[in-house]
Amino acid sequence: MPPKSFNVGKERLIDDEEEPLQAVILADSFNKRFKPLTTSKPRCLLPICNAPLLDWTFESLSLAGVQEIFVICRSHADLVRAAIRESKWSKPSSGLKIVPILTAKETFSPGDAMRDIYTRGLITTDFILVNGDLVSNVRIDEVVKVHRERRKTNKDAIMTMVVKESGAKHRTRSRGDSAVFVLDAESSECLHYEPVTGYPPKTQVGIPREILAEHPEVEIRNDLMDCSIDVCSVEVPSLFQDNFDWLDLRRDFVHGVLTSDLLMNTIHCYVVKEGYAARVKDTKSYDSISKDILARWTFPLVPDDNHPGGHAYEHLRGNRYIAKDNTVVLSRTCKIGNNTLIGSSTHVFDNAQVISSVLGQKCKIGVNTVIRNSYIFDGTTIGANCVVENSIIGAKVHIKDKSRIERGCLVADGVVVGPEAKLRPFERVSKRRDTEVGDDDEDEESEEEEETEGDDQEEDDEDDEDESEDEDDEDSDSELEEAEANQAAIGATLGEDTNAIAWPLKSTEGEDSDADEMETFDNQRLMRMGDSASDLELTDPGSITSSEVDSDSDEEDGFMVSRTRRASASATSLPLTTPSTELLVPPLASAMEKEFQSEVSQSLERAFAEGHSVDNAAVELKTLRMSTNVPLRRVREAVIAAIVEQIPIVEGNMAQQRKEIANVVDRWGELIDRIGGVDAVETVSILQTHCASSQRLPLFGQVLAALYQNDLVEEDDIREWHRQPASRGEGMKPGTFSENMEKCWAVGTRMIQQFDEQEESEESGEESEEGED
Amino acid sequence: MGTAPEIANQRIVEALVSKLRRRQVVGSRQTAIETVLVLRQVISKARFSNIEHLIQIIKAVGRRLVQAQPKEHTVGNTVRKVLHHVREEYHAVSRAGPSSAQPPKSSFSISKFVSQGQPRKQNLTLPKSEARSTSLRENDPDDPDSFAKGLKPVLMEAIQDVLDELETVYDNVSKSARDHIHSDEIVLTIGHSKTVESFLKSASHYRNYTVIVAESAPSFGGHKMARSLSTAGISTFLVPDSSIYALMSRVNKCILGAHAILANGGMFAVTGSLLAVSAAQAHSTPVVVCAGQFKLTPLWNLYHEYGALDFADPSSVLGFEEGSLVDKVDVVNPYFDYVGPELINVYITNDGDHPPSSVYRLIKESYDDEDHEL
Repeated sequence: MPPKSFNVGKERLIDDEEEPLQAVILADSFNKRFKPLTTSKPRCLLPICNAPLLDWTFESLSLAGVQEIFVICRSHADLVRAAIRESKWSKPSSGLKIVPILTAKETFSPGDAMRDIYTRGLITTDFILVNGDLVSNVRIDEVVKVHRERRKTNKDAIMTMVVKESGAKHRTRSRGDSAVFVLDAESSECLHYEPVTGYPPKTQVGIPREILAEHPEVEIRNDLMDCSIDVCSVEVPSLFQDNFDWLDLRRDFVHGVLTSDLLMNTIHCYVVKEGYAARVKDTKSYDSISKDILARWTFPLVPDDNHPGGHAYEHLRGNRYIAKDNTVVLSRTCKIGNNTLIGSSTHVFDNAQVISSVLGQKCKIGVNTVIRNSYIFDGTTIGANCVVENSIIGAKVHIKDKSRIERGCLVADGVVVGPEAKLRPFERVSKRRDTEVGDDDEDEESEEEEETEGDDQEEDDEDDEDESEDEDDEDSDSELEEAEANQAAIGATLGEDTNAIAWPLKSTEGEDSDADEMETFDNQRLMRMGDSASDLELTDPGSITSSEVDSDSDEEDGFMVSRTRRASASATSLPLTTPSTELLVPPLASAMEKEFQSEVSQSLERAFAEGHSVDNAAVELKTLRMSTNVPLRRVREAVIAAIVEQIPIVEGNMAQQRKEIANVVDRWGELIDRIGGVDAVETVSILQTHCASSQRLPLFGQVLAALYQNDLVEEDDIREWHRQPASRGEGMKPGTFSENMEKCWAVGTRMIQQFDEQEESEESGEESEEGED
Repeated sequence: MGTAPEIANQRIVEALVSKLRRRQVVGSRQTAIETVLVLRQVISKARFSNIEHLIQIIKAVGRRLVQAQPKEHTVGNTVRKVLHHVREEYHAVSRAGPSSAQPPKSSFSISKFVSQGQPRKQNLTLPKSEARSTSLRENDPDDPDSFAKGLKPVLMEAIQDVLDELETVYDNVSKSARDHIHSDEIVLTIGHSKTVESFLKSASHYRNYTVIVAESAPSFGGHKMARSLSTAGISTFLVPDSSIYALMSRVNKCILGAHAILANGGMFAVTGSLLAVSAAQAHSTPVVVCAGQFKLTPLWNLYHEYGALDFADPSSVLGFEEGSLVDKVDVVNPYFDYVGPELINVYITNDGDHPPSSVYRLIKESYDDEDHEL
């Protein structure tokens, strides 16, 4: 048949032209924001609008024409693998090749997963990196095209991040975990990336001066939503391999690549104009993405059209979606509000109200019950006269009559509560384990009984329980134990027939891992469903810098970026490290600078001790400076201080002392000018300040002379420094420091006298040490 | 045996299914053509020993495609049409076989309508009927494939007819353009319908007239339409939808496209059509709808009385970047308007002009009754 041969020919053509597009799904969240819902299944298998998140992700990828998908699974890997095997995506007709990959239990972060990908050598070409909780209808293939096009001319462009304009206050944009992007307006190259936490509120963003110097037009944007879709080149996993301390894709990888002096790689952004893409990062985004789906922002990926789970829904007015197979029983007197999805075989009894909620399949909603803004998974029964608000209820839960579930509650699978249970706001409830805690073997067995599907994994775990258990299980165990131990203290009202335990309201894990500022409890609150966080102080506390900023604002107008946190919040400005603000050290940054100084002195000590070349030391300093983002003057101070302290003090022997100084300055003096920018006057005044506060005060003159000898400081510079009022110690509090400053200045005066004498007669000065030549 | 052929063709069917689900194939004519191509492949590869079996196979594929995108009615229509042709050919063969008589002159046969439009095809049918002289035996135990072998060439011809009809639909609709548009008339249209576009262009060869195009927000298909018409040398105005009523008093005729024509004579058409048609009603301006016959759908308005069949994403109405508003406002972006039969004066199809009241008859002629439910 002619059309057939035509088709075949076309397919072959496509195959020849393009290498197969690969994608990597990180099917593990590497955090615990959905606990306790994620105790029995991974986050990517939680349903959103009655289809597992992983299916939404597959749909998004196959929309982009991806042919090969690697799914990196860690916790509950068997469940993920089974889900993939049974889904429609693994059928040959889907045109997808899905390879589940079980990564080691020691994989604790996306960075570890990337290193695993590298060691396995899976990736042969440009690939798409997404998380297993993505909902998107963006044409990713176009992003890939743009990325490949760019790679043809610029081999250093290693990654393209997909971002979407959303406005700073969009419900789907996380308040707790967002970022400020600095983009080149023309090439949309990402020049700087600054992660922003919601609490404590970030008020300042430092942007390296070089960016402003090198790029004529720069966009600083706080209105972009990170879609977590990255088109990466083959080099990306190997970069992770090289930098073993990178954990997070954004905060470590992007930040690291952009601030590195050694890696010449660039990262670009792709601002999508059309389409929707968002990640279910936390319960709050779960809520907002569900709402977005029901409000059809994800069109054509909507329940009545292209439901990834393959269910058929009928779309009624007011965005109500009812399963199409005529199995839904709605009582004549029940009320179904707008933006509601009801799965098949669900019964809603008399006078019940379901408003802006998602009901799974085979649910039962009792008489007079009110369900509002809630998400109820498959097979759950809710009794009569209950109220459920702003909560997520797992699968096969039984909530008995007259229970009340307040906003933000998470109820795990299989829980029974009630009757007359009262869950307080943000209560987290999971099923109690049957046996006593403490006896691990029994414990495992009982869990096995519960989790019929997770059998294999549990058996694996039994061999070496404590170590090989993944983080989730481990943590949940310890947390569970703690919760069980403290049931009385927690004091939740769960009703008579309950089989459940309540988790502590305020989890302790946030305080433990202070290393990760994203995971602090207060910041987590911003990611919680139903939490308005109105009691958190989200405005700029006291606006530390506002007065100083005001004085500078005239010159700085062009660089101001105002970001509004909330409707009521005052606009916060972020001073950039332009010269005028350089002297301004915000208290926030002082800790960082202290850390920086100790880092510098350590690295220089190492350099001195191991005899590095000046070049290497300079590069190291530059990297340090970039990573902590301190002004240049601080670097200079630190370097000069280190060099001066390096000089050994030789008592009584002038010649010997001079020789030591010459040694050190000859070897290392050059470094002062290599850290970026030459400013000899500043060098001298820093030297003075340092000597004035150090026991090497007597050496000031000699060091200055040595610098002069090495052409690091010119005669004019010394004169210039000498003229400055600050050099004489003016405006300082009287005390030893200012006296010392004056002593130094006096040495300088003598030196200048010598210069003058030198000019007049070519004779050398006698009494002062520094004028020997 | 029953499912074997389906499996053989699953891949191509599934490919179209996912394309339909993802809306990678849009537009009623495009969908119809894709459906015919898939059905042709399915039939050419199918193994069957009697007509019932073949019809089951086609219906099964059709059901799958319709379920994938129930809002694109042309998929179901095309399947019905193919079924109709298959039956017709089968009856012709089984009757012609023993007696070798000419096929009976059924006065309402669709093939006659088709062949009228295409004289070329009529020549082809003659040798075909000669070739049929060998009789076909169903369920032949000796050679189960003989029935399929004998019938397939005829079926391919029939499907080719359907395809030809789809490919020439714009020309055939436009044939009568000259009779509907007169010199110095002002015509109002809305959105970007390919049928209307070719209709207006063909009229412009004979007449000198003016077109007012409503831009039809938020899809703004009108912009494209206006550009296309003005490049064809027609004097064109582009107006916002809000001024349709104000301009209506000066308009001589409304010419609209349709997404689907329903059995009661109503239709689904691009958003804004109901607005234009109601305004026309108020000024007693005639409303003319141009559409190919493949848009005839044996269904009633299943959804809402004042409903839109389909709702697109709200982003073209309210930008996603309007972050703070998104949470507080429910935005509805309907894709189509339902226009009732009482508001329409005439349908111009590739098979002549019909009032809405006789659409039911056209449907009865085009499709077999037993196929209304696939």
